Amino acid sequence: MNLVKTFQKRSLLLVISVISIVAVLLAVRLFYLMVPGSGALSAAAQELHERERAIKAERGKIYDRNGVVLADNMPVCTISVIHNQITDAEQVIRVLCEELGLSEAYVRKRVEKYSSIETIKTNVEKEIADRIRAYELDGVMVDEDYRRYYPYNSLASKVLGFTGSDNQGILGLEVKYDFWLRGENGKILTLATAHGVEIPDAAENMVTPIAGNSIRTSLDVVIQSYAEQTAMKVLEAKGAKSVSIIVMNPQNGELYAMVNVPEYDLNHPYDLTEIYTAPYTEAELTQEKKTELLNQMWRNSCISDTYEPGSAFKIITATAALEHGVLEVKDSFHCPGYKIVADRRIRCHKTTGHGTQSFVEAIMNSCNPAFMEIGARTGIEQMYETFRLLGLFQKTGIDLPGEASSIMHKTEAVGEVELATISFGQSFQITPLQLMSAVSTVINGGTRVTPHFVTEIVNNAGVTIKTIDGCGETGVVSKETSEIMKMVLEQVVSEGSGSNAYLEGMSIGGKTATSEKLPRRSGKYIASFLGFAPAENPEVIAMVIIDEPQGLYYGGTIAAPVMAEVFEMVLPYLGILPDDTNFMVAE
Amino acid sequence: MKQREPETTETKEPRGRRIVIRRAYDYSLLFLTFFLVCFGLVMIYSTSSYNATKYYNDATYFLRKQLIFAVGGMVLMVVVSKFDYRITNHPLPVIKIKPLTLLYLLCAVLQVAVLFLGENIKGAKRWLEIPGIGSFQPSELTKICVVLLTAYLASRAPKALDSMWGFVGILVRVGPLIALVLIENLSTAIVLAGIVFVIGFVTSRKKGYYVAVVILGIAGVAAMIMAEGFRGDRIDAWLNVETHPKGYQTLQGLYAIASGGILGKGLGNSVQKLGFIPESHNDMIFSVICEELGLVGAVAIILLFLLLLWRLFVIAVNAPDLYGSLIAVGVMTHIAVQVMINVAVVTNTMPSTGIPLPFISYGGSSLVTLLIEMGIALGVSNQIEYRE
Repeated sequence: MNLVKTFQKRSLLLVISVISIVAVLLAVRLFYLMVPGSGALSAAAQELHERERAIKAERGKIYDRNGVVLADNMPVCTISVIHNQITDAEQVIRVLCEELGLSEAYVRKRVEKYSSIETIKTNVEKEIADRIRAYELDGVMVDEDYRRYYPYNSLASKVLGFTGSDNQGILGLEVKYDFWLRGENGKILTLATAHGVEIPDAAENMVTPIAGNSIRTSLDVVIQSYAEQTAMKVLEAKGAKSVSIIVMNPQNGELYAMVNVPEYDLNHPYDLTEIYTAPYTEAELTQEKKTELLNQMWRNSCISDTYEPGSAFKIITATAALEHGVLEVKDSFHCPGYKIVADRRIRCHKTTGHGTQSFVEAIMNSCNPAFMEIGARTGIEQMYETFRLLGLFQKTGIDLPGEASSIMHKTEAVGEVELATISFGQSFQITPLQLMSAVSTVINGGTRVTPHFVTEIVNNAGVTIKTIDGCGETGVVSKETSEIMKMVLEQVVSEGSGSNAYLEGMSIGGKTATSEKLPRRSGKYIASFLGFAPAENPEVIAMVIIDEPQGLYYGGTIAAPVMAEVFEMVLPYLGILPDDTNFMVAE
Repeated sequence: MKQREPETTETKEPRGRRIVIRRAYDYSLLFLTFFLVCFGLVMIYSTSSYNATKYYNDATYFLRKQLIFAVGGMVLMVVVSKFDYRITNHPLPVIKIKPLTLLYLLCAVLQVAVLFLGENIKGAKRWLEIPGIGSFQPSELTKICVVLLTAYLASRAPKALDSMWGFVGILVRVGPLIALVLIENLSTAIVLAGIVFVIGFVTSRKKGYYVAVVILGIAGVAAMIMAEGFRGDRIDAWLNVETHPKGYQTLQGLYAIASGGILGKGLGNSVQKLGFIPESHNDMIFSVICEELGLVGAVAIILLFLLLLWRLFVIAVNAPDLYGSLIAVGVMTHIAVQVMINVAVVTNTMPSTGIPLPFISYGGSSLVTLLIEMGIALGVSNQIEYRE
């Protein structure tokens, strides 16, 4: 038996020393990795573990002029499943099918799909979501969210517009003011495992969402809904394609109502209304066709469609002539029922002629030969100068998307015939709102106005951060011209072609118009009426446009009574009372 | 476990003084081993519960399996420690064969069997499926055999080792076992070669030719690396750990180590074990220890291992004979090499290779083997007698 020799013990000491040295070196290496050298690696690890989950910001609300909420947010939930966390798949499938009313195959496919997170249904009502939460199913996630909600459904649909699945504005005020309304999304940083499953109770960094700003509009729910009812009644009575009514304050451009029936349900903007689907069979409604019809349904023709303004444009022709000193109130005109312009004979709507008439009578009669004469006196350059001052060459600047531009002849292309037709509102196209905006300037004493809905932007603390005013350049039209025009237009309603818009005791100004749509002789017309009140100091201007009425199509016959109906309600509502009532109150 | 009083024998010296001779059973080594195994179980539960829940729907799946081996292994350790280690070379009564020879033959047979019948796991045949017990790694048993055989051969003729031919003589007998391991498992073969080398080095009076062996060994390993494609990849992965696809596991381990800091995230709070480090309860367990217990915990574990190695050193120095001493040296080398390689791999100090952390990493064969070795080493300590 050999014993352990001393030299062997010394060798052993050497071995254990080498081992100790290696151990110390490894400890140093560990120190390096864990303390000074850990920065980049642990940052990379952190990034690997962190999952970002957005918290949607609450979108700002839209209010009418009296603080009524037009666009609100409803708390809704998103139901999703996390495959890895599900313990009882069958129960999850059963509960989700029952509560959400989904088919078993649909739910099963999603529950059994191997993915980090699978959305089952979005926009689930809070009540249902709370019930699902109460089951405390493993692997079922209920996330709170907001959905845009329009309490008045279709009210002012073409104005408000709607939002998409991410609550982003798509149409109308929703998209125009999206920057203000949308707010800033927050986020939660959570830690997740390699399989993307969040680790419960892990330290979370949270960035709080900032709610969007609210907008206060000049729209008035009462006027808007009344106007919508009136328009719908006319649409049905006349079998028209569409009916528009715009109500505005001519002093500052604040819009009270903008109706464009048929409207659509803002809470279900992708459901075509029956009016649009009725002419087609199921087979004809292809996806392409549906998209086309949806675009038609969403279209706001008050600002997106141009038309020949017709006789209502005589207001502008007269203003141009007055402003350039080529027309005086005492001037008189003769109408034989036609006027020869260059080589053409352009007829008056009254083929037997109006005979000799004063300027006031000419506009009351809406006499074409008289206005051809007035236009010829003014000349195209002066006419266009006034058009430009009244903003007819540019968009109105309304705070809605999709505004169309006017279509005008070039100055050099305007001959005698063109000038004659322009004088009574034909051969060029503008939008109804452009006409309203121009006429507002004429009757408000010469101040340019920008039609607009939004008057104030209010932050989520209720503080006004921006006010919007529609008043622009003043003195565009002289006070004298303005007074004359108000006077003659009041005569149109009280005694002339616009008498159907007359209301007992009210001083209303206005002008009728009947435009034949292109191509001519197609039998399609647009009957319209533009009115304002009180005539002496207008507080409200309104326009009724009936597109393609069946049967009678004269503006004075079918549009003027609608205006009377609107004013009958709107004027007292705005505190514009009949003269005799004023008198009685004064007594 | 009930602590037992050391066995004592009493003799009478001249002049009538009572002399007490005690046996130096190394209880601190026993306790260190016990502590490391228990710590290993805690860390296995911490690292494996996530994957165990995910794949087996039972958080304690791996813990329970390992617990069985830990308890069984510790019982075996205590039983083995009570035998005199010298019986390995006394022929058995009936068959007249030494137990060591039997072990040698068993290892050879199993190593050959695994090459033909082994389960192919991750591109290597290292596991034998034994019905009822589970899979078993024959190379682990070979470790015990190599420790005992080398120690025996060296202690029988220590002077022969003063010349290189004596060492070659040992290699000739131990070599076949190592070669059989080498076919499928380079890292274990390196551990075995380390054991043979250190035992030879300690025994021999002349150290010169060991330098040559070291150089030869390095050249051999380099040749192996060049020859085998997937191991060539490992070098690339080592050098470019952040970009190389094969560096994924190491990189995840480094992430864990780096996010530990000085004090760690706290026991159980590792994020990297949540699916980022594949099988974090296996070879990469040290990185999770770093993440959860920090630099302080990691260094404490290294110190515990050093303490354990120190106890083995003390046994080797005081052993009653060279055979016992060299057994302790072999066991010490085995543990030291595995700890060093494991920590070095986890910290990306050397190319990746699959070596478990002794006592702590998950794996039944490895744990039981180590505990038997500890039992043998304790058995050596039990044969040390000293007077009081």
